[in-house]
Amino acid sequence: MKIEVLFPEICNLYGDLQNIEYLRRSFKENGVDCEIIDTALKTEPYFASHDDMALIYMGTVTEHGQELVMDALKPYKDRIRELMDAGKVFLVTGNAWEVFGEYIECDDGRQIPCLGLLKTHAVRRMMKRYNSLYVGKFGDMDIVGFKSQFTHSYGEFTPLFETVRGDGLNPEVKGEGIRINNFLATYIIGPLLILNPPFTKYLMRLCGAESDKLAYEEAAMDVYTHRLEEFMQPERGLTY
Amino acid sequence: MGKLRFLFALWAARLCWVALKITGHHGTNLPGQIANDLCPDFLDRIGKPEHIISVTGTNGKTTVNNMICDMFEASGRKVLSNRAGSNTKPGITTALINGASFLGKTKYDVAVFETDERTTPKLYPHVKPEYILITNLFRDSIMRNGHPEFIGGILTDNIPASSKLILNGDDLISCGVAPNNARVYYGINRLESDIKECINLINDIRICPRCAGKLEYDYLRYHHIGRCHCVDCGFKSPDYDYAATIIDRKNKTVTIEDKKGTGVYEFVNDSIFNIYNMVSIAALFREMGYEHSDIVEYMKKSKVVESRYKMVKVNNVSILTQLAKEKNALAISRAFDYVRELPGRKSILLMMNCLYDEAHWSENTCWMYDCDFEFLNDDNVREIVVSGPRARDYRLRLLYAGVPDSKIKIELSELEGAKNIDFDKGDLVCVFHGVDSFDLTQKVRKILMERAEKL
Repeated sequence: MKIEVLFPEICNLYGDLQNIEYLRRSFKENGVDCEIIDTALKTEPYFASHDDMALIYMGTVTEHGQELVMDALKPYKDRIRELMDAGKVFLVTGNAWEVFGEYIECDDGRQIPCLGLLKTHAVRRMMKRYNSLYVGKFGDMDIVGFKSQFTHSYGEFTPLFETVRGDGLNPEVKGEGIRINNFLATYIIGPLLILNPPFTKYLMRLCGAESDKLAYEEAAMDVYTHRLEEFMQPERGLTY
Repeated sequence: MGKLRFLFALWAARLCWVALKITGHHGTNLPGQIANDLCPDFLDRIGKPEHIISVTGTNGKTTVNNMICDMFEASGRKVLSNRAGSNTKPGITTALINGASFLGKTKYDVAVFETDERTTPKLYPHVKPEYILITNLFRDSIMRNGHPEFIGGILTDNIPASSKLILNGDDLISCGVAPNNARVYYGINRLESDIKECINLINDIRICPRCAGKLEYDYLRYHHIGRCHCVDCGFKSPDYDYAATIIDRKNKTVTIEDKKGTGVYEFVNDSIFNIYNMVSIAALFREMGYEHSDIVEYMKKSKVVESRYKMVKVNNVSILTQLAKEKNALAISRAFDYVRELPGRKSILLMMNCLYDEAHWSENTCWMYDCDFEFLNDDNVREIVVSGPRARDYRLRLLYAGVPDSKIKIELSELEGAKNIDFDKGDLVCVFHGVDSFDLTQKVRKILMERAEKL
């Protein structure tokens, strides 16, 4: 099985890359060897000329890094659309997914054009960092996580998660993340898969695994159960 | 009118300070807060010393700030500082108030202010340092600081044009700050222990800041600290103006050289992190015109704050309490790495939970997956007790790091952790704690010392 990681040299904030290492180890628990293909900014992405990757992943990035990512992906915009339409599995975390939208509005009103593959735009306020705990639903599954970002996003979208506690793509909506076919994107940062064993099992199956045993499953479930219980306590503050 | 308002604010703040003292409160922010609220241009009006030094950066600024203060005092100069208070605008305002006469004139000729990076937009327009020493820029609190590029941008936007920068030449992030300002670089020459490829989870300089090409490290110390060049455009790390050229671990000295002289300095602490601190301070004093021979003597009289690192030996058991600043993946990685290098068998108590966050919401634990817990997966580690609200998260992270479950003990109470951690004579017991838990750490240390006494 092959997983392509886009631009790990910059899309690596907040422990996001450990999602892929956890996935690799979990696949291994099921006897599946996983090849991680790291695509650097100045090289042609593997997806440009291959179809055999089970997942394409991109993690959280700096604001300057977003612009580098856009420059790197622009030549492959049509190919990305083709892969999205064909149901290729993408997982994009933190602010990385904003580059697939229409534009990012900066503090000074300047608009940075993005790939235009999603009908959303982000509004960036560098001196107003938004921090939140998050609880959501993915079908019957509970999702827990952390958000920490300078942006909120607006526009038309089908959410990945339905928010139970916290905010969606912006404080006015309850829908969190984006889902188009198997393009899965969320503002949740960090070790999303390590902290959400049920979702990781779902993703493994989506990537074609026939079984879904997780690495350190007992400990991960213990952490997940307690975190969910903690985040659901009504007296516990959510935003910071 | 403005002058009257200033004096009123000054006296109100002074009165507040006295009231806080009488009632036994610490409150180093409140007088400064009151002064700034009553008189919005208070900081422009208050008297300031002729020489102001600001120490900022992600890690090490308290240590460096306090050492500089110790050294000025050793030189016989009266130094104004915020070392007893906060490193934000109100804390620094309070320090200036304490250093001013009844009419607001300063009584000092030199001030050293530890300055929180995010405070600089509010401070530097009013208090313009002659020198700004930046220790380093790393990932810090995810919630507050985002990422180092963001913090570097804040500094660049706010550093006064007149300030001279003392920069770590081995840290390309801080080297890029305020590019138009006058600057000198300090660093440590290649060491035998240097490597070529990063072994840490965090490396925030992997691409060339000029052309986004791949950076190749000539040598790397930890994370992105080292010297590198771009394989595409030839960009490279700056040359040092002040360099640690010889680190003599046997005699515990470091030789610091510049174009005009050389000094042999005694270690204040043998970690590389503290050697960087020493070189940065030597660079500052040299820029201010001091001779190496004098700086060497002043540095002997400075010390690393004990609450951050304390080693005691009881009945042949070494007990180390080591600050591992909560939620700061890099600071904790450095602390883990330091302890990993210590010889002998170790038992470890992890209690660097963010108690403040826990009381209000819940600690964002993403930092754990940026932090090198892998350093604790060592044959010399006998047991790791994970404690406090995030004990379960520590356990999962340690398993992920390859530590066998049989070595991990969960104790939700830190005090119970101290009571139940296994150790024998000859062992090192290391307690990693955060800033929030200094008081708790003292209780933990006491329990460990009592247990060691009874062995």
